[in-house]
Amino acid sequence: MYSIELLPNSSSHATPGWTYVPDRRDRGFDPAKAAITPAVGRKRGIRDPGRADLSSRQNNAIVRHLAELDRENHKDVSIPIPVKQQKDASGRGTRGKVTSNVRRILQSQKTFRNHLDDEEAAQAQAAQTATQRPAPAQVSRLTKPSSSRRSSTPATASKPEPSSSRQKKHTTPATPSAVPTASTTASTDGDGDKPDSDPSPNPAKLITSEHDNDPLLRSYIPSAPPTASCKPSSPNHLFPTTPPAPAHP
Amino acid sequence: MGTTKPRPSGRNSIAKAPSLPSKTFVIDNGAHTMKAGYAPDSVPSDDGSQLLSTCATIPNALTKTRNNRVYIGSQLHTHVKDWNELMFRRPVEKGYIVNWEAEKEIWEHSFFDEKTARKDLRIASPEETTLVLTEAPNALPILQKNADEIVMEEWGFGGYFRTIGPSLNAWNEIQSLFGDPLVQNPDGPISPAECLLVVDSGFSHTTVTPVYKGRPLQRGIRRLDLGGKHLTNYLKEMVSMRQYNMVDETYIMNDVKEAVCFVSNNFPGEMEQAWKGNRKRSQPDPSEGVVVDYVLPDPNAGVKGFMRPHDPLLNLKKRKSTLSGSETALLSEDVLVLGNERFTVPEILFTPGDIGMKQAGIPDMILQSLSVLPTGLHPAFLANVLVVGGNALLPGFMDRLETELRQTASTECVVRVRRPQDPIRFAWLGGARFATNKEELKRVAITRQEYQENGSSWAGRKFSGAL
Repeated sequence: MYSIELLPNSSSHATPGWTYVPDRRDRGFDPAKAAITPAVGRKRGIRDPGRADLSSRQNNAIVRHLAELDRENHKDVSIPIPVKQQKDASGRGTRGKVTSNVRRILQSQKTFRNHLDDEEAAQAQAAQTATQRPAPAQVSRLTKPSSSRRSSTPATASKPEPSSSRQKKHTTPATPSAVPTASTTASTDGDGDKPDSDPSPNPAKLITSEHDNDPLLRSYIPSAPPTASCKPSSPNHLFPTTPPAPAHP
Repeated sequence: MGTTKPRPSGRNSIAKAPSLPSKTFVIDNGAHTMKAGYAPDSVPSDDGSQLLSTCATIPNALTKTRNNRVYIGSQLHTHVKDWNELMFRRPVEKGYIVNWEAEKEIWEHSFFDEKTARKDLRIASPEETTLVLTEAPNALPILQKNADEIVMEEWGFGGYFRTIGPSLNAWNEIQSLFGDPLVQNPDGPISPAECLLVVDSGFSHTTVTPVYKGRPLQRGIRRLDLGGKHLTNYLKEMVSMRQYNMVDETYIMNDVKEAVCFVSNNFPGEMEQAWKGNRKRSQPDPSEGVVVDYVLPDPNAGVKGFMRPHDPLLNLKKRKSTLSGSETALLSEDVLVLGNERFTVPEILFTPGDIGMKQAGIPDMILQSLSVLPTGLHPAFLANVLVVGGNALLPGFMDRLETELRQTASTECVVRVRRPQDPIRFAWLGGARFATNKEELKRVAITRQEYQENGSSWAGRKFSGAL
């Protein structure tokens, strides 16, 4: 796999010419990946820019340190499963026969990193095939929803996006005096959004509860959450993606 | 079909048992400990302490002592007397069950083997039991598939439901925790809290999960790759550099961490207080200072480790007793002096930049999570922040989180941060309460028969909400 290195810029005083970047992926970290983890807020980056331009040597030291903190045992140890006597196994919940799936899983010595690499490879492959032929409309039929849905998310999520960004623009001056203006813009926004909100059975209906008048819980932009935010963008979602209407009895 | 297992009673059970079994076993399978127990038929009326008595906390690890003996799960507490140089093998990596070989061993030892399983935890007949199993958010599909296959094909549970751990917290009785009036009909079925922002700070990571009516809002889930394990290791590293070499003493350092660490609400001030230069200048009352002594456990004398106020004259006393030849107890004890280690270690949860990690701390993470949710939900989530997981027990954690959230959240929102009585078993408790709502459980769980008909990839789609 190729890797992208952040080269030290002129302001840092690393050894001129080259830095030694050890390839220590077997120790449980990958410098290329650790370098592109999401950074802290934009503002903090502006305030102390010193953090941003670490030399790659420093970066690797940090990454190695983090990998060290992630290991529980200082030394590499292998702890085998204690062997049992045959007669002991009789009281167990398992029966004698195991299916091929179970045998495969139990014998697999893959680590989390192996699984993650497999998954990334599968996603890359799925993305390639998805570009070759148009994505099918039925997302839920796919066996790899996470990868393929990522590409199809904009199509479904684009509708609520403009309104939310507009709302955000209105509410960013978070002074106490902004409350009434925010609520008025919200109401006008709600009216304006009605035509192009999503075509579920009752899109404009708010969720009612006895707490609606509770000053604690009153929201200054009274709109129901768009269904897009209830939809899973990854496969491990808990419940079916019905709109958040009151559940039928 | 290859997934079905030929069993003599299989046909009969299919014919007569299409619905879920009545008994439900809930496992909150954490990386450090698993929380397990049977769910009751109905929720007791008290505050959950009665329910919690049926929940056991079992170390989710194989432990190797320094004389090369291997112990499984709860044997760590009953059989191991020498805590020096313990090594652990954990089947759960990064919060996900990765190694089923080890996990199966621990589960069988704890739940299935009639010789070793506790009587109230034993699953005598999996066919007549529904299993509710938790997982960390954003698990890999292959790991989810492995879990489904093992649960249904190795043990053959009669019913099965795999869910994201934090979402179960919403089924708890949240209103009294936050001091809200009770809205739920006490006689009706249990229903989830409407809006709950769950911060789960566990062993291997910290996650933020907005839960809306018991469903996690997937796009709002955020993760910080720091947890209790990292705190322990960081403390271990500091102590090893400054005092004794403790790099092999993970277990002991975990105890030290639990005894002495706290989250500072005034970081520069505490730093100043812990500074050695200041200590000489004005001798403050040692009981007020940040610095404490931790007496390390002594396996030969059978003494457990404990914390006590710092004694600056300890070395002097030791020297004196050597000269006089009396008081051997004082000579044999090993003491760690802990100053700023006490609060700089948990500080990394709030500012991961301290160890060079380019991720946002917990308060920032909460705001990042909210930023992708509709603005109308922000006040409701900020007013219902629930912190669970072992790190919530660090003194000062809650105050710090509430202060920082208050400072960064918008003015008109009320910020309330709460911690349940038992933050470690709270997800389990929620799961147990959820399991009493049979209607809801029936809607989301699968039966053994359905699994045999449709296979594991169908089960994965069902749990992901695609069906």
